[in-house]
Formats: sequence, structure tokens, C-alpha cells
Amino acid sequence: MMRKLLLTAALVLPTASFAAGSVDIPTRDWDFERIQSDWDKDRILRGYTVATQVCLACHGLKYISHRDLMRADFTENEAKKLAADLGVKLDDKLLSQMDDQTSVEIYGKVAPDLSVMNKARAGGANYVWALLHGYTEGDKIPEKYKKYFPDGMPTGSYFNKYFGGHAIAMPNPITGPELVEYHDGTEASVDNMIEDVAYFMQFTAEPELKDRQRLGVYVLLYLFIFTILAYFVKRHIWRDVKK
Amino acid sequence: MAQKTAKTSVKITPSKEQPQQPDRRDFLTTVFGMFAGVGAVAAVLPFVRSLSPSRDVAAQATTEVDLSDIAEGSSKTVMWRGKPIFILHRNAEQIAAAKRDDGAASLLDPQNDADRVKKEKWLVVSAICTHLGCVPGKGGQHGGWLCPCHGSQFDTSGRLRRGPAASNLEVPPYEFLNDTTIRIG
Amino acid sequence: MKMKKDRGPSPDILKDPAGWVDYRLPFKWLVNDHLIDYPTPKNLSYMWNFGSLAGVALLLQIVTGLFLAMHYKGDVTLAFDSIQHIMRNVQGGWLIRNMHMVGASFFFIVVYIHMFRGLYYGSYKSPREILWGLGVIILLLMMATAFMGYVLPWGQMSYWGATVITNLLSVIPLVGDDIVIWLWGGYSVGDPTLTRFYALHFVLPFVIAAVTMLHLVALHTHGSNNPKGIDLKKETDFIPFHPYYTMKDIFGLGVYLMPFLFMVFYLPDALGHPDNYIPADPLVTPAHIVPEWYFLPFYAILRAIPSKELGVLAMFASILILFILPLLDRSKVRSASYRPIYQQMFWIFAVNALVLGWCGAQPAEGIYVIIARVCTFVYFAFFLSLPLVSRIEKPRPLPKGI
Repeated sequence: MMRKLLLTAALVLPTASFAAGSVDIPTRDWDFERIQSDWDKDRILRGYTVATQVCLACHGLKYISHRDLMRADFTENEAKKLAADLGVKLDDKLLSQMDDQTSVEIYGKVAPDLSVMNKARAGGANYVWALLHGYTEGDKIPEKYKKYFPDGMPTGSYFNKYFGGHAIAMPNPITGPELVEYHDGTEASVDNMIEDVAYFMQFTAEPELKDRQRLGVYVLLYLFIFTILAYFVKRHIWRDVKK
Repeated sequence: MAQKTAKTSVKITPSKEQPQQPDRRDFLTTVFGMFAGVGAVAAVLPFVRSLSPSRDVAAQATTEVDLSDIAEGSSKTVMWRGKPIFILHRNAEQIAAAKRDDGAASLLDPQNDADRVKKEKWLVVSAICTHLGCVPGKGGQHGGWLCPCHGSQFDTSGRLRRGPAASNLEVPPYEFLNDTTIRIG
Repeated sequence: MKMKKDRGPSPDILKDPAGWVDYRLPFKWLVNDHLIDYPTPKNLSYMWNFGSLAGVALLLQIVTGLFLAMHYKGDVTLAFDSIQHIMRNVQGGWLIRNMHMVGASFFFIVVYIHMFRGLYYGSYKSPREILWGLGVIILLLMMATAFMGYVLPWGQMSYWGATVITNLLSVIPLVGDDIVIWLWGGYSVGDPTLTRFYALHFVLPFVIAAVTMLHLVALHTHGSNNPKGIDLKKETDFIPFHPYYTMKDIFGLGVYLMPFLFMVFYLPDALGHPDNYIPADPLVTPAHIVPEWYFLPFYAILRAIPSKELGVLAMFASILILFILPLLDRSKVRSASYRPIYQQMFWIFAVNALVLGWCGAQPAEGIYVIIARVCTFVYFAFFLSLPLVSRIEKPRPLPKGI
């Protein structure tokens, strides 16, 4: 009875963790999706560079301060130095350089805060990665999508292959290579910048990820031994009970 | 039926038909019990820890203060760990007064000024009266502070000069990062 | 009038402290007769583990919830931020919140399995009708608690889920709209709604715990049912609860905690909805409002019926009908293993419930609505055909003992 029940549940339940999205987001391999991972400090810094020099012009990261970088193995002095370079203090939140009203005047809405963005979209980092790759050369509408926009794109919106509805208010932010200069000499190609900023945003969305993964292994290992032991104790105690 | 048994249940004891009560001191059971106990204790820890200062609060454990805007002879109150700290930029007269009183009989909690400052010009003391925790204001007869609650008086070295408090204003841990910046904590 | 049982003179406090206490507070009766020597059928399968697991799940929710409440702020301007504060700043806060979040889902999994076990083995039948009814009350309280808990993070799904579900009550004739406004404490879901939901979300688990106590009193009055579904008569059919079932339950707990903690540590958001990480915005409705998975079968029934009023009625009826299940099923035989027709019906019902849940996750259009309608029909047909089935069914011969 139990086996049947669990089996049927196993078949149906996964479909219950639905993802509402009409657009197929390509999945990529991210090393933070492993059972154990470490934040790649250089990549975090590269992503940080893109985020602060490009994204922060309009978006905020209001749950993040430079002190948080210490959770990705930055030392206090390194974090302080980065903060000083931006003219802020260690504990200041990374607020948008654009105030809400200006944002509304230019883009028709307040640019959403990016701190938890990777958790707030189905697909997470894949979504951010795809979205930033979803723009077209010169914002042209590809043939396939022309039927949705017979009169061209609505004013103030741009075509994006991976955005739900394909009309996004944000113009392509990664307009070309070399928007930033990386600290480690990595080539600031469009692909690299997108990959790095999506990675960095995973960090801003869940800076605890590493702690979670690290502790999880120990807890599950403990539990495994606990259960095995419990099984043998149970069997031992029940050895005399006649069926 | 089950109810009937329930009433006589206390009498259920090992018998020939009943399975033998397992030996509770059995090795396996002991090992398991200890293992489970360790786990139970470990499981409590995150809950206990969650009540200690959170990351953002802990970040306030140290406060950096820029001294350059405090004029000679005047003081500034800053917050450190949610409590006020007086920083007095002492002028020559105040320094002299503090040193002069080093051996004074009127000191209720005798201490030398040199033991209370790192640089003569700067006095950094907790702004919490050692009596009952009020915040003293400028005043009193010793050029320092007067507690509005019960009238304790402190001099230009933050030393207690008149009751009912029992000790000098506390000196918090601090260090000079450079000539015009200190880090408290 | 019946006199109190004469307990004789009190034992001396120094010579027999335990006896002294027991004379005043009968903990021996409580602990010994109900946890240690409590006679339990010896043939219970692992399906009987889920009752105690549900108790553990409730306890975990209460403990984690209590610690979350020490950091959460029930105010529309602060709620979302305070969750982020818990996740980022509070030491180990992410662990406690993940446990609470995933724990809600696992609580429902356990309780649903517990209920299906009762359904299969006829645990709702005489003399356990009230035991079953108390269980249904617990389910209703759990649903209310979970629903209000989901509102607290004040994300998009919180806000719109609360809006949609509370609006259901507007179908009540004449006073419906007024009731909804009363419930909200305003003209839309807002700060008063959040604050009262927080208060209720905090207190209802304790009500659940109290009803659970009654559930246990009812259980211990006639003892556990068993996989054979027959009344056990011989003393040898029973074993003391401790150490046999305590140890079996502990083993079961380990098996339960593994997938639970795996999700807590590695897939904490898998059962949630990403939209709830977007702060609530009364101006923007998410494209696809979906309740938490444990409400999906009922949500599917709601949407399967084209009329709003009837849909709401059907949804509530789908839960309330559980109360009268003991009246509908007239068969004297408890376990489905000895009931050829009911056994088939049970499996159809179980699969049907899962398909309903799946429908609830799909958009309410096209083929999904048709499937949902068929399933809704099957759902009710199961219950409503029971009086007839239990009359015509010829049970297989029952075993004499276990």
C-alpha cells in the first residue's frame, strides 16, 4: 500500500513544482548548483564590477553592502577599499544611482531592485543570463516574432527573446564589449560580462548559499548514520515479536 | 476491547507469550542513544545562535569616528553599540586640570589621567553614568559632566568627583587609526 | 454523584518524592499508560508512522515559527525586508526559515498520507468517527494556518493569493462583500490584513496542538486500528508502545528527515513560487496565480465549476464531505484489503486526487478544465456512491486474528 502511494506521489508531485513561464529559458551549468561549492572570488569581483559600473546606473542592490563581500572571502580591507573607490562606506547599501522619479520619467517604471532577482524569476541565474542575451542587433524584431508586433515595438519597449511578452522596458544594458575593465585582465567580452554579472547576482540573492551547502553535507551524513543505527536498534528490539 | 486492555495495561509484563523486554543497556542501543543525543544538542544550536546579534548588528560592534570636526575644547557624542560615547577634544587648560587633580583627595575612584587617555588631547569615555545608567550632560564644578538623574559629577578626565555613582566614566576600547580617526570597539 | 477515587494518604515527600508528585499530578498515568505501556497492536505497518510524524512536523513548525517571529515584522512596509533580514543577517536565520518553509509542505505530505492510510484501512469507522472528525478539523486549521503564513512574506503571491482566496467569501449571499471587507479590515488586502493574519498564524498552531490532544484522547480510548481492520481481542496481539513503537517511530523520523533536510539545504525554494520574491505590488497581478501545492486539488475543484458560487461551494464541500464519511460508508468491514469494490475505488480516488492537484497547477483553460471537471466528478462520486457500494459489496472473509 505504502509503496504504491509513494510511487504515485513521486510521479505526480514533480509537476506540481511548476514554473509559470511561457518562454523557454535555456539551462546552463553553474558551479554554485553543485552539492558543494565555493564562491569564485575573482568572478564575484568581475560581476561586481559589471553590476556597479553598469547595472547600478538604474537598478539598486539594496540588500547588499560591501561588507557582504566578506561572505565571498573578501577581507575587510579589500571590501573597504572597493567601497572607498565608489565613495561609500563599508556598511552602505548599494543603492541605485538613479532616483525613482527619474527612472519613471525615462523608462516608465522604477527599475526593480536586483538583490533577490535570481530568486524572483523562474530559472534564476539562467533567466538573467538568457535575458541579457535576449536582445537583438539594433533592437530588430526577428521574423518569427513579427506577428506579435505588427506595428513594431510599442514605444519605450525593446524586443527581448526571453522576456515574457518579448517587450521589455529595459534597453540592452550590455551594449558591447569592454564596458568595464576587469581587475584580473579577463577579457570583458559581452559573454563574459553577462556570465559574470549573472553569477554575482546569484551571490546577492543568496549570500548564504555556501554555508547552506557546507552544513547540509554534514547534517545529511549524520542523519544517514542516525537512520541506519535506528534501523538496527529497531530490528534488534523487535526481534522477539512474533508475526 | 482495546479499552479493557488499556485499563490493565500496567500489568503488561514480559511473559512466555510476550516478547522479552529487550535489554536497554544493550551496546547498540547505547551507541545509538549517545549518537542521537549529540544530534539533538547540535540541533538546538542554530536556534540559540539565531538570538545572538545578527550580522548587521554585529557589524556595528566597531565604530569609526572622524575627529577632525571637533573643535578644541568641545566634545561630540557618538553612538557605539547603541550607546553614547563622549569624545572631548581637550584644550591645554582642560589637560592641565585633569593632570593637576591626579592625586586629589576629592577623587572618589582614584585614577591618573594618563591611564585614561591614549593621546592627551583626546578623552574618549562612555556617556553612561556609572550610577544608574543615565546620560550626563555638560556641567558640574569640575569642568566635565553632571548627571541629571542623581547629580554625580565628572571632571575633564571623566573621573567621578561627587557621589552617588561609585566609579569613573568607563573608557571604551579604542585605537587611533590615524591622527584624526579612531575606531571604537 | 460519583465520589472521587480515594487515593489514600499522600506518600512522604522525602521518602518517595515521585510518589508524592504522582499523588498530586498523575504523571505515571500520563507517561506510563499512554507512552510506555500503552498497548498497541503488534501488526501495525509503517503506514502507522505518519501520525507521530505529523506530531513532529507540527512541533518543528511551532519551534521554527517561534524563532522566526522574533525577527519578523508584520507590517506591509517592513515584512518583505524583514524576511530578507532573516535570510541574510540573522545568524542561521536562513536555516530556520528554510525549515519553516519546507516544513509546511512536508507537514501536508505527512498528513495527507496519514489520511489516505485512514481511508484505506477504514480507521474512520465505528468507534473512531470522532477521532476522524477531529482529524478533519486539524486539516482545516492547518489549511487556514498555511494560507495565512504564506501571506506573511508579503511577496506578489502572498498578496494576490490572499486577494483571490479572501474574495471567495464574497459569494455569500447578501453579506458576502461586507464579510470580505471585514476580513481585510479595509477595502483591499493591506496592512490590517497582514497584521491580523500574523496574529492568527501565530496562535492557530496552538489550537491545532490542542485539537491534536483531543485527537489523541479519542485515539487512546479505543486504541489504534490495524492493517487487518479487525478488533483485536487477545492480549498477545498487543505490545507496549515503548520501546517497540517509540523505536520504530524514531527510525521513521530518520527516514522522514532525510528528504526534508535535503530540501532545506539544497532545494529550499523548489516548492515555492519565484514571484514571492517580488515585493507585493497592488498594481501588478502575476500572470499565473498558483496556490501552494497542497491546495492544488481543491483549487482545481474551485476552477472546474463554471459558476463562481457553485465552485466555491464545491471546494468547501470537497473538504467538509470528509466529516460525514463515516456516515456514508456503511460497511462493517474496515480494511480495504477485504473489500473488493472499495479497494478499487480507493486507488481510483487516490490517483484522481493527484491528477486534480496536477490540474490545479495548470492554467484554467482548454483540456485542463475538462480533465478537472471529470476529476471533480470522480472525487464526489467516490463519496456519494459509498452508501450504495457498502450495501452491495460482498467482503472477503475476515481473518480471525493477526
